Amino acid sequence: MKSKTAFIPAFAALLLAVACSHEPAPPPDDGWVYNPTPYHFQPPPFFPLLDVPPDNPMTIQGVQLGRMLYYDPVLHPEGALACASCHLQEISFTSGPAVLPHINLGWSTAFLWDGRVQGSLEEAMLFEVKDFFETDLARLEAHPDYPRLFYEAFGEKGITYERAARALAQFQRIMASGNSKYDQAIRQEPGVFLSDAEVNGYELFFSERGDCFHCHGGILFTDNDFHNNALDAEPEAGLGGVTGSPYDIGKFKTPTLRNIELTGPYMHDGRYATLEEVVDFYSEGLHASPTADPLMKAVPQGGKQLTAQEKSDLIAFLKTLTDTSYTTNPALASPF
Amino acid sequence: MAKTVPLFRKALLALPFALLLFYGCEKEEKAADSIVHLNFDHTVGGLELKLNDTWYPSAAGHPFQVARLKYYASNFALENAAGERFELRQAHYRDVEQPETRTLEWQGVPPGEYTGISFVFGLDEAANVDGGLPNTTTNINMEWPLPGDQGYHYMKFEGRYDLNGAGVVKPFNLHTGATGNNQNYVRVNLPFHHPVKMSGGAWQICFSMDLNEWLQNPHTYDFETFGPMIMANQNAQQLLKENGASVFSLSTVEKE
Ligand code: HEC
Ligand code: HEC
Repeated sequence: MKSKTAFIPAFAALLLAVACSHEPAPPPDDGWVYNPTPYHFQPPPFFPLLDVPPDNPMTIQGVQLGRMLYYDPVLHPEGALACASCHLQEISFTSGPAVLPHINLGWSTAFLWDGRVQGSLEEAMLFEVKDFFETDLARLEAHPDYPRLFYEAFGEKGITYERAARALAQFQRIMASGNSKYDQAIRQEPGVFLSDAEVNGYELFFSERGDCFHCHGGILFTDNDFHNNALDAEPEAGLGGVTGSPYDIGKFKTPTLRNIELTGPYMHDGRYATLEEVVDFYSEGLHASPTADPLMKAVPQGGKQLTAQEKSDLIAFLKTLTDTSYTTNPALASPF
Repeated sequence: MAKTVPLFRKALLALPFALLLFYGCEKEEKAADSIVHLNFDHTVGGLELKLNDTWYPSAAGHPFQVARLKYYASNFALENAAGERFELRQAHYRDVEQPETRTLEWQGVPPGEYTGISFVFGLDEAANVDGGLPNTTTNINMEWPLPGDQGYHYMKFEGRYDLNGAGVVKPFNLHTGATGNNQNYVRVNLPFHHPVKMSGGAWQICFSMDLNEWLQNPHTYDFETFGPMIMANQNAQQLLKENGASVFSLSTVEKE
């Protein structure tokens, strides 16, 4: 048993030796230390493997730096806003209409309502700092702590958009929610039972009667894809504005329904204030259009025509997806 | 001691490997394993499958468009004249919108004269249980979560049809799976036109799925009869299962 582990330090030392021979040793006079500690992140039960790019391994230093950047208005060119100004933890890192929440984005590969950014979380974060915030890197360079913190996270001097993005991505990867009442029930935790209404809602959700699961299904409660869910007879461009394809008109990112109780108002334009309004829409408010998704099976009938009981059961189920251990998790709160 | 053991172990590991290499090289000229690329292509009644922009005629009289096509094929087996089978017990996921899913690479196919290939369209009872496939986002999106049922969608064939070609467009969703735990998967047997002797190198076998066959052979499948929801409709599932036997054909079996 021991013999196997003895190999690892030896191998690591070798790797380090190789790595060091490529890079010039950092100037010792700074007194900075690059000695990253791996961050062992455990995804919630039943979640798929977390995809961590080999060039951005999670470290304590990287995650902590990402967390600081997330809460620090220093990223903003005028110092006016932090990410956390619009992405508030107590409401699943959203705020107000149209602000997409930050929750389980480590499993996402397409970002923003219209899919403007596709690829890794690093690419999404790069977009946020470089194109959305237009972060002034000189502000970070002039800061008393950040030059050292970047060095400690990445082992190279200098602050770049890429490194800021990598740190933010590391923090986003630990922003995982999988401890709602629903999760506790499927894990059969003692004393956790869904009520009759919640069970009915669950069965509606995961059968063709309610048929929410084809888009909002699985353990993530999103298929990470784009759909036209029949909101409008003349839909906005959505993904079509990005891809240029007429077949993508009206398609938007399927939002996760985890913590949906907390993240209203709903839809990409915040048109519905409550879950009741959303469920009324799926029940009676659908609009046909050439790109309406075939999975919106009740478009010809204008909706699923749910009974009042079915509607309230469905909402009761949606509320079992609320995870307050996520919205109060101290590891995700402001470090300042 | 702690250090010598792993070295010794390593040597032990390397030895048979070296032998294998030797052995492999010597035999190469006579008969070596082959790599077989299984490619999954699609047509609609002989026309190229184009998502969304083509209306195809259907036997029931409703022109239809295809929006998405995703499915599993699994348990591949090459067969020889003696009836022996060389198997690959693996599920392959095919999504027409993801070109990288077109090909399944099958390594280590032993030398032999093969007379045909067979596979399961969908998943058999061993694989088609909750959690039966690796826990990836792709497989999660194929889950068949109907209360009381198990496993995954075998297929999601989704689109729109124009009722009798009169301009009223409606959705259809041919979602097949183990409705009520009926094993609705399809066994596909495709004999080669003549025996194929494989002994090394890379080969490709191209399957062609004719989507029209789901809708016409031997039974006419009418979208209007079954409606857009068939996951709990075993009659629709049974009909599609029976039509499924003829949807695949071989378009190529050749050395690359
Ligand atoms: C002024 C408010 C505001 C601030 C500040 C803000 N965001 Fe956002 N964020 C939004 C809005 C609005 C959306 C949805 C926009 C869209 O999809 O077009 C969004 C969406 C996102 C998304 C996409 C989520 C998804 O599910 O696809 C990510 C990632 C994101 N923000 C990260 C950040 C980061 C990182 C920062 C800090 C650098 C930040 N945001 C700061 C308002 C803000
Ligand atoms: C065809 C795929 C699809 C189906 C089926 C579907 N949805 Fe949606 N849902 C979406 C998309 C896409 C959006 C975002 C649309 C937009 O904003 O333009 C959305 C938005 C929502 C929202 C608002 C989320 C937010 O953060 O603003 C809720 C709540 C919701 N759906 C619940 C449901 C329920 C409940 C069902 C079943 C009755 C259902 N959905 C069925 C695709 C779907």
